[in-house]
Amino acid sequence: MNIVVLVKQVPDTWSERKLSDADHTLDRASADAVLDEINERAVEEALLAKEAQGGEVTVVCMGPERANEAIRKALSMGADSAVHVSDEALHGSDAVQTARTLAAAIGTLESVDLVIAGNESTDGRAGAVPAMVAELLGWPQLTYARKLDTDGQSVSIERESDAGVATVEANLPALVSVTEKINEPRYPSFKGIMAAKKKPVSTLSVADVGLSADEVGLGSAPTQVVSSAPAPPKEAGVKVTDEGEGGVQIVEFLSGQKLV
Amino acid sequence: MSFRESEERQALRTAAAELGRRYGYEYYVQQARSGGHTTELWQEAGKLGYLGVNLPEEYGGGGAGIGELSTVLEELGAAGCPLLMMVVSPAICGTVIARFGTDEQKQRWLPGLADGSLTMAFAITEPDAGSNAHKLTTTARRDGDDWVLSGRKVFISGIDVADAVMVVGRTEDARTGKLKPALFVVPTEAPGFEWQGIDMELVSPDRQFSLFFDEVRLPADALVGSEDAGLLQLFAGLNPERIMASAMATGTARHALDKAVAYVKERSVWSTPIGAHQGLSHPLAQIKIELELARLMTQKAAFLYDSGDDTGAGEAANMAKYAAAEVSTRAVDQAVQSLGGNGLTTEYGVASMVAAARLARVAPVSREMILNFVAQNALGLPKSY
Ligand SMILES: Cc1cc2nc3c(=O)[nH]c(=O)nc-3n(C[C@H](O)[C@H](O)[C@H](O)COP(=O)(O)OP(=O)(O)OC[C@H]3O[C@@H](n4cnc5c(N)ncnc54)[C@H](O)[C@@H]3O)c2cc1C
Repeated sequence: MNIVVLVKQVPDTWSERKLSDADHTLDRASADAVLDEINERAVEEALLAKEAQGGEVTVVCMGPERANEAIRKALSMGADSAVHVSDEALHGSDAVQTARTLAAAIGTLESVDLVIAGNESTDGRAGAVPAMVAELLGWPQLTYARKLDTDGQSVSIERESDAGVATVEANLPALVSVTEKINEPRYPSFKGIMAAKKKPVSTLSVADVGLSADEVGLGSAPTQVVSSAPAPPKEAGVKVTDEGEGGVQIVEFLSGQKLV
Repeated sequence: MSFRESEERQALRTAAAELGRRYGYEYYVQQARSGGHTTELWQEAGKLGYLGVNLPEEYGGGGAGIGELSTVLEELGAAGCPLLMMVVSPAICGTVIARFGTDEQKQRWLPGLADGSLTMAFAITEPDAGSNAHKLTTTARRDGDDWVLSGRKVFISGIDVADAVMVVGRTEDARTGKLKPALFVVPTEAPGFEWQGIDMELVSPDRQFSLFFDEVRLPADALVGSEDAGLLQLFAGLNPERIMASAMATGTARHALDKAVAYVKERSVWSTPIGAHQGLSHPLAQIKIELELARLMTQKAAFLYDSGDDTGAGEAANMAKYAAAEVSTRAVDQAVQSLGGNGLTTEYGVASMVAAARLARVAPVSREMILNFVAQNALGLPKSY
């Protein structure tokens, strides 16, 4: 069974994140970059499926050269190989262009059975890319999975949304996006860390995946960020000291905020 | 030589730090105060291969060096949950067995030490032979093929979690009758071997014990390495020990410094955060500098050791341990001061580090003995003892 995991390098949630003033794209230099935690879970799920069914796990990543570090992390966890689409022309690509690039990169691989992605990245949080990739591939999409089962022929998930939990099934090939509840990702073992460097990573340009430079990137993006403003600083909360009246004061506060 | 760590070392550092953060200081203290152990963390680190990174690959280790092993310990320490037994089990005992053991001894012990399923304590200190290892009296005599070991050890860490202990004893030279050191592996269930806990004021899940060997009969292959080269073999294990002790101390210093810095950034007593006052910011900055210097010396010692320079590593390892012990003591002390009253509370978890932070000044070798070593060896000064 050949499994592809879509991975993204994102600024560490704990570090300060900024958009660049010039073009409202992510200022990648301002923050520590890490493999998105949701992608660690996607990799974990792929490894579990591989351990049960056999096969290979390939990570596919679109991102600048530095995203190599995120790829190594996925390889050190146990993925077998990687495809890294890295091209200056991709800078500022929006969700649609990203999905096109990823779908094209998946297209360069032979006989993929299952694509696993995180449901949304912790930086962009559009949550649209997995569905778009599935659409472009013409494959069924099973999104928001909190549980995944596959026998190598079909895949079944528990889909959790605000509306409730549904069991969704599809024949392979298919795409699944996973939520935080799916699993606890493993730590890379020392052997995994040492092996990661020797695993094959093919770096592809936009042209290598069969797209042209004017189809991707900020200039031709169908969506545009017109303006952006930093989030307002957190205001100090209200401290209620309980001198017998604490409960009442909390209720008053909550009703003042129209929360109860 | 490079001041940049290899990609693999950095990845190991990050992974060990993440693992450590999942357990953290609260877990560590809870285990310490409830009489528990850090077994879950030990086992998980072992399974991931972090405990045996320095041991040979053919025996289940990671095939890297003390540089890598000390990185793991430093990161666990920085996360608030240092594993003291890493200093002893893979670093001292694992090194000695890997370098001087027979094939059978390596088969018997190394895979377990590497994945953490076996733990080996290390016993050299005796009631009358702490700083002065020449006064060791634990003795092994030949009886047919067997050895019979008698004697007493004190302050031995982790015997309660260990499967065996490597004991530094002495054997009688058949020719001259003089006693010379030799290393024996004694299983904890060996008849005639007993131990008793020592009440310590360290807040640590790793406890210390007095050991009693009363005519403990051991098979011939309990002796590790050659009977005639015991001292040399012992020293081979002591460099890793010092490098690991340094890493544990710098990890502790980082943990304390992080807590102090986080606190002084938030806390305002007048209008600015207290971290703006030079009375607090300068001592913390000094500690940061001393910490980086200690880490650098630790890395140098590990680099020399891993490149096969035992002698060069010896001086660097001693200096690293000195510097690391000083900065861990000072960092915790300054953390307590920076937190004011909260520095002495249970909740903020700084006061509880005070005794443990001083440990590195005393063990595995005292600060004074390191100064003696440097005075005599690096400066050529005469000995007072
Ligand atoms: C928590 C803990 C864990 C330990 N774990 C282990 C273990 O696992 N295995 C093990 O074998 N040992 C262990 N030890 C023992 C430790 O290595 C010794 O305590 C240490 O070597 C000091 O020996 P001592 O306690 O006998 O002090 P002493 O030798 O009695 O020294 C007392 C003081 O006198 C000073 N002093 C002595 N001689 C001189 C001199 N010539 N010049 C200047 N000053 C001098 C010393 O520096 C020290 O300050 C542990 C100790 C502790 C506290």
